Amino acid sequence: MPLILKTTRFIEAQLDTFLDIVSDSAMMFQLAMDDYLSGRLEQFEERLSQIRDNEHRADDLRVGIERFLYERTLIPENRGDVLAILENTDEVIDNMKDSLAQFSIEMPDIPSELDDLWMQTTRASVAAVEQLVYAVRSFFRDLSAVNNYIHKVYFFEREADQLGEKLRRQIFAMDIDLSRKSQLRFFAIHIEKISDYAQAVCDRLSIYTIKRQL
Amino acid sequence: MIFIYLLSGLFLGWSFGAKDTGNIFGAAVETKMITFKKAALIAAIFVTLGAVLDGSGPSQTLSKLGSVNALGGAFTVALAAAITITLMVRIGVPVATSQTLAGAIIGWNYFAGRLTDYSSLAAIAISWLLAPVLGAIFAALLFFIFRSYLGKVKVHMLEQDVWTRFWLVIIGAFGAYSLGANNIANIVGVFVPVNPFKDIAIPWIGTVSGITQLFLLGSVSIVVGIYTYSYKIMKTVGKELFNLSPITALIAVLAEAIVLFLFSSKGLHGLLVSLHIPPIPLVPVSASQIIVGSVLGIGLAKGGKNIRYNMLGKISLGWVAAPLMAFFFSFVALFIIQNVFEQQVNVDTRYVFDRQTITQIEKNGLDTKYLSTVNGRTFENELALYNELKKQSNFDREQLLEILFITEIHPMKVNTGILRENGLYKRFSRAQWEALKSLENRKYNHKWQLADTLAKHPSWQYRDLANSKPTENFNKNLSELLDILNRSFYSPENTK
Repeated sequence: MPLILKTTRFIEAQLDTFLDIVSDSAMMFQLAMDDYLSGRLEQFEERLSQIRDNEHRADDLRVGIERFLYERTLIPENRGDVLAILENTDEVIDNMKDSLAQFSIEMPDIPSELDDLWMQTTRASVAAVEQLVYAVRSFFRDLSAVNNYIHKVYFFEREADQLGEKLRRQIFAMDIDLSRKSQLRFFAIHIEKISDYAQAVCDRLSIYTIKRQL
Repeated sequence: MIFIYLLSGLFLGWSFGAKDTGNIFGAAVETKMITFKKAALIAAIFVTLGAVLDGSGPSQTLSKLGSVNALGGAFTVALAAAITITLMVRIGVPVATSQTLAGAIIGWNYFAGRLTDYSSLAAIAISWLLAPVLGAIFAALLFFIFRSYLGKVKVHMLEQDVWTRFWLVIIGAFGAYSLGANNIANIVGVFVPVNPFKDIAIPWIGTVSGITQLFLLGSVSIVVGIYTYSYKIMKTVGKELFNLSPITALIAVLAEAIVLFLFSSKGLHGLLVSLHIPPIPLVPVSASQIIVGSVLGIGLAKGGKNIRYNMLGKISLGWVAAPLMAFFFSFVALFIIQNVFEQQVNVDTRYVFDRQTITQIEKNGLDTKYLSTVNGRTFENELALYNELKKQSNFDREQLLEILFITEIHPMKVNTGILRENGLYKRFSRAQWEALKSLENRKYNHKWQLADTLAKHPSWQYRDLANSKPTENFNKNLSELLDILNRSFYSPENTK
């Protein structure tokens, strides 16, 4: 029995590390955005490289956890659900990395009057991811708290949508080239999408929570 | 030949092993919490332990229903029950081995013109109804306890999984033990009165009684059933009956194990009696029906949604159809076995009202004035005599049974050599054995005559100390010893 519990606690630690990485990546994304808008491009590139590392680590952890769960036939009833949660949460990191990589490639010129709204949208999306991490942690330990966090994810997703729309309206109201407007819209949508991914994970999570409830 | 007769009991054991262990471990195996190999091994070990160590309680209740007194009869009764169970399992009705067997035994009673003990039947029938209801109540209570506990402890999903597995194994083992103890009587119970096994003395361990050997053989047939067919049943049960998570499966199995324990524990029975609380009868109950009751209880506790109410209909069908079918099969099969295969399915018993028996009836304080119409007559059929007496007199059932016991012709010749040959002599105390030896070669026509003669010796007298456990055990043991003598000394050619 102690041996089995030791293995179990090792996987629990792996899961916690995976979620820590998601949370770190979200905060890193916000800092990277701030660096980009403030013109600290070298620091921005460093953050991008850190998120890339995080993404690799998260992938490795996810695969390791999956292998453990299947090899040791742990949580047979919920195994599929847990794997789906991990894969979808992993996509959130991928999405943040892709977004920053796109910034690094295209280097869009963002007018300074958009800075505040841009950061507000970023903060709302990042907050959605952070609440998602809480929700997933609760799914493993405290089912009764999951819905509370899911509710917050939905709130921040709506907030990110509204701010994103406002941002896009402001972009198209500006006196700049249409090509530039189009490029900025693409980046604004990229940031909004992060919260959409978080919401998609929550949609699944709420079903899995119902399934797990006694 | 005797062992060929036992085959039908083993067939019954096989069907039971496949069907009922499926019910205990079905959910655990189907939810992949336990592998089939592990489940089968646990079930095999604990069903056998339960049957051998704690397996005589319920058999006594079932044998009150009707005591099949010929090996051919026991073979046919077990065969009729086994066929009924196999058919019912094929059509997916959760049928109880005990109910089916009761139907088959009553079939024998009717065929042999024997009296059916309706009070025992009523006790058994009430237990059948009570068992799934208790299963539902326990499951619902456990559900609320588990929900509240798991909500408070906030244990990690993975750790919860480990603990659920652990308890599924422990409770499954407990359930298998109770199942073995409770139901072994169903498998080989009908063979108890005609048990072909002799007591075996094993140095340093003690005597292994013939009944224990019979129960051991029964449990081997259950184990064969577990290994050969229960996987299929587990799969079906896990899919069709349940839609359970590992935790709710654990609750259902725990509720089932508790109910099985309540109906099979001699220890608990004794404790309740000593506390002057009405005890739960030691009746073989149906694991299939308890588990359905438990699942229903969980469903109701969850708010009554997603319950497959058609299962209730199927259980009710099982209650009615299985005993009726077994009754019919048993009656027809007994007729065929007796008349086509010319096997003895029933030892004819006669009842005589002569000077001796009338005097004994009077001595027992019963009014003989109602017996004028039967005086001097001999009856060939227990049921006919019972109905005749009932019509003519105002004796109650207990008194009528007493008259039947006194008038029953059971020719015997005391032959302690038979007891020695069968290894049964070790059961008697030195004083009891000496008393028996002093009666060597004496002949008796009635069971009470031998008991009365032996009762002249203090070691053969029933003790009268109210509510004393050792005394109760002594009296019980004395009854069993007299049963052994009645069976061993029976010699029809020695009718006086």
